[in-house]
Amino acid sequence: MFEVNDLYVRVGEAEIIKGLTLAVPAGETHAIMGPNGSGKSTLAYALAGRGGYEVTAGAARLDGADLLALTPEARAAKGLFLSFQYPVEIPGLSAIAFLKAALNAQRKARGLEPMPAPALLKLMREKAQALNINEDMLKRPLNVGFSGGEKKRFEALQMAVLQPRFAILDETDSGLDIDALKLVAENVNALRSPARGMLVITHYQRLLDYIKPDRVHVLARGQIVKSGGPELALELEREGYDKYLRAA
Amino acid sequence: MNGLAKRLSARDTSVQSRALGDALFSHLLPTRRAEGWRWSDIQSALNDINQRVRVPREEEWSESAEAAVAHSARAGNVIAALAAGTADGWYSSWGPPFSNTSNPMFDQLGEVGSVGGRELEANEELVVVQHLKPEGGLAAHCYDFVVGPGARLTRVLLQSGDGVALVSGRVIVREFGQLRQFVLAEGAKLARIETHVEIEGEGAEVELHGVYFCDAGRHADLTSVVTHKAANGKTKQLIKGVARKGGRGVFQGKIVVERGARKTDARQYHHGMLLEEGAEIFAKPELMIHADDVACAHGNTAGGLDESALFYLRSRGLAEAEARALLIEAFLLEAVPEWLPAAVRDEVEARIGAWLRS
Ligand SMILES: Nc1ncnc2c1ncn2[C@@H]1O[C@H](COP(=O)(O)OP(=O)(O)OP(=O)(O)O)[C@@H](O)[C@H]1O
Ligand SMILES: [Mg+2]
Repeated sequence: MFEVNDLYVRVGEAEIIKGLTLAVPAGETHAIMGPNGSGKSTLAYALAGRGGYEVTAGAARLDGADLLALTPEARAAKGLFLSFQYPVEIPGLSAIAFLKAALNAQRKARGLEPMPAPALLKLMREKAQALNINEDMLKRPLNVGFSGGEKKRFEALQMAVLQPRFAILDETDSGLDIDALKLVAENVNALRSPARGMLVITHYQRLLDYIKPDRVHVLARGQIVKSGGPELALELEREGYDKYLRAA
Repeated sequence: MNGLAKRLSARDTSVQSRALGDALFSHLLPTRRAEGWRWSDIQSALNDINQRVRVPREEEWSESAEAAVAHSARAGNVIAALAAGTADGWYSSWGPPFSNTSNPMFDQLGEVGSVGGRELEANEELVVVQHLKPEGGLAAHCYDFVVGPGARLTRVLLQSGDGVALVSGRVIVREFGQLRQFVLAEGAKLARIETHVEIEGEGAEVELHGVYFCDAGRHADLTSVVTHKAANGKTKQLIKGVARKGGRGVFQGKIVVERGARKTDARQYHHGMLLEEGAEIFAKPELMIHADDVACAHGNTAGGLDESALFYLRSRGLAEAEARALLIEAFLLEAVPEWLPAAVRDEVEARIGAWLRS
């Protein structure tokens, strides 16, 4: 369902992703691990369509559609979701107003009517409760003054409400305490289905204990240098990235 | 020098610029070289709307321009002098002397000019909402208030329309009095809203907030001077504005803390956002502190829309135009105070929303 082919991404003068190829079949969850600065977030941003992340070659498809030809909002409407490593603070815009605007914008792009307010409220409450997010937080300005863990839980809430086809989770585990990590993982797992795919970026095996990946990929030097089963994550935990970096 | 000049030098205790006084003597409008008018070219704005205007002499002032407005005019306030010359009556119909945020007094400012004001008695509350919408000519209005001990004046001014719109307000605040002001300026050929506040009593509190937005060919100028003359006073000012290509926003905010005004707490922030190449925002924040033991903070920024915020919203499916509108709306609404009467708040939000989606 999700394929990246020989992708090259440039940020400013630097070429960060250099010929990356990856495929996540429907129903599967893959993990990407890699050292700091190896380009994991760069890949995620480029796939989501962030300005300044210039794709110089290659292709990315979701359900056969050419993602790279689409605006960020059109990619979202196709069902792509990126959980940000660093969610953005937006003073003056309440979390709940934002979520409502986002859901209805996606519905509109898919030719659906806006969700009636009561149904929307009910949906948000229900999903928020499952993530232990209280309603006061929803009324606060988006991410402003949220703790690191609260921001990540709010990203998970957005995903639960927006129900994407394919989700990229960029270090969802960073900033979460142990209980919150379990809770977020449960909510992410609840979204796993034969029709959905996920790409989980993480540094730690711990997240993968909860969100069990079908495949694990190592990103280094701008490419996927090694792919394997869940045991690859355990090996990395033991041995680090040294041998993949030296293999250059 | 004539008699007027002598009176001016003897009575000019205000901090209004002497350059304005010079313009008044010559009966000419201030040029861009006059202090306080550098970014607001009133002469060429009036040329553009084919208005020939000179500042009226004192003998030409309307009888209804009572002592207070006359004081401002003599002190060199050009808007006050213009208003004094064109007003057709003293306007202070804001009675009975009771109103509050759920029961504000509404008032449509006229096409030409008006002078007015009110002295609030001790502990009185007055909420005045003024709409100003000139249709293309020159409108000059001058208002003068005294906020008595423990009294509270809430003043809202909503400016739209075309032409040259000038408003000057002067407010004297006595001990434990409160002034809360909010201005929405949509700009015009030239719109200038001046506010002069003198804190004369201890423990007074002043809030001066405002929002401006300027399309191509529109100019909005929010200018204010707050003078703390007594101890334990508080001033809070938050002005936010945006300009599109060919629009110009001006913020000039001066806060003066005089020697006796110990324990003054003054906070002033102005944040402008340039929405397109070719938009202009000029700002001159000034804090002049002559007292000890004073808490002051200020901030002044002008920049573009935060690209990472824009991407965040778009990545969630919001179309670019809508994402921009939401972000700018959020930016501006921060300067819209909680205490606005509900109906006024709705109107302000609707006007901002309509402009952003126009
Ligand atoms: N605007 C930019 N200009 C130049 N280089 C940049 C820019 N943004 C990122 N980079 C560089 O790109 C490289 C990849 O960064 P990226 O954030 O994708 O790494 P990452 O794998 O997500 O790291 P981490 O594990 O720390 O999150 C880094 O070396 C970074 O310094
Ligand atoms: Mg990263």
